[in-house]
Amino acid sequence: MSENKALDGFGRYAGPATLILASLAGGAKHGYALTKDIESFAGVRVAPGTLYEALARLQGQGLIEPVESQDRRRPYRLTAAGATTLQAQLDAQRRVADVGLRRLAQGWGPA
Amino acid sequence: MSVSGPRERAARLLRCYPRAWRARYGEEFTELLIADLAERPRSPARTADVIRGGIAARLTDAGLCGFAPDGTERAGQRARAGLASLACCAAVFLGLGGAIWSQLTIGWQWSAPDATAAVTTVVISAAMLLLAGLALLAGLPVARAVAVRIVRGGARDLLGPSALFLGGLVVMVVGGRHFGNGWPGTGGHPWAHPGPVPGGVAAFCWASTLSVSSFWAHPAALAAFPPAELTWMALSPLALACLVTGAAAAVRRTELSPAALRFEARLARAACVIMAVFLAAGCAWIADRSPRPGDLFHPGVIDVAGLAGMALALAVGCQAVRAAR
Repeated sequence: MSENKALDGFGRYAGPATLILASLAGGAKHGYALTKDIESFAGVRVAPGTLYEALARLQGQGLIEPVESQDRRRPYRLTAAGATTLQAQLDAQRRVADVGLRRLAQGWGPA
Repeated sequence: MSVSGPRERAARLLRCYPRAWRARYGEEFTELLIADLAERPRSPARTADVIRGGIAARLTDAGLCGFAPDGTERAGQRARAGLASLACCAAVFLGLGGAIWSQLTIGWQWSAPDATAAVTTVVISAAMLLLAGLALLAGLPVARAVAVRIVRGGARDLLGPSALFLGGLVVMVVGGRHFGNGWPGTGGHPWAHPGPVPGGVAAFCWASTLSVSSFWAHPAALAAFPPAELTWMALSPLALACLVTGAAAAVRRTELSPAALRFEARLARAACVIMAVFLAAGCAWIADRSPRPGDLFHPGVIDVAGLAGMALALAVGCQAVRAAR
């Protein structure tokens, strides 16, 4: 998965980071909106501490950026680098999914 | 629950995070917590997650974990945080190592050591000398940058750390010299035999590390100590903590050029190598010893505990050096 370099340093936050990037691909969102959106499309609830650790890392890498807001809840949006990284990450995941599904379809069964 | 309950709870949880993180994310994170608390009033998993996130943020703030951020300014901040953490680790290492070193050097002045103790003393003495040189070299660019900022004005944030550092340094030097000169057993006495380390230096190191003592586990014996010495045993670690905290805060708050940071990082790596050699020599000394009556070089439980503390300080210091690169 050489295309996945950008999330290499995220370790255990690569999963939440991918979910956040996927959520922001649909438009800018603040923390709570991100949590609810991720819960709706992925079925997992990202806890506040984990969410903000991933947000800080993504922002530190320039993959997302804050949006000016008068609200106390600051929204974030995807950057061009973030979109490229998300594309690479999802392509890699799709390849894994394709291989797994193809092998299952080829007649998996208990030995 | 009162109307302000969730906000108060969110504020309590926010205190898990370091000040810089709170300044940047505090407001929005509080809003997220309030919304989450309204939806799930009781969630031990959320509390555990926030505490874990706060610890991770504090370690990242200290340059001990996390990742290399984009941008020269943020990378510089992270490098300075790593250097400051290394300074703290080196102080702990030298505080514990200095106690072992002074024990060996003073023992040499009163009886001839065997081969292992002699080699250990020479290796540790060389390591102490090199570490002192590195500390001096590392301090010069920081001291210069601090002085320039103070002379130009607008360095109010450096006044506190500078005062803390100088206060701690004065107490350690004055106290170390006073108590080092006060007891002939330290080797600073005409009866003593010459060893590889000048008696006055050994005595000063002994007095400076007097608090590293197994007497803390024996209160009855401790009570027989002169009050001034007891006071010094309690005061000297505080003075050392002030000295190191002041130095670390000054490093964190002082802008250093990329070249100076690279220079500091090279010194930091060299310091870790030297500390590893120091630790290996100490472990060899402990491993090789078999107790003999009246042996001045016999290691005790305090030395084993000291080496364990030094190993931990070195491990954390190496982690900090990775951030300082």
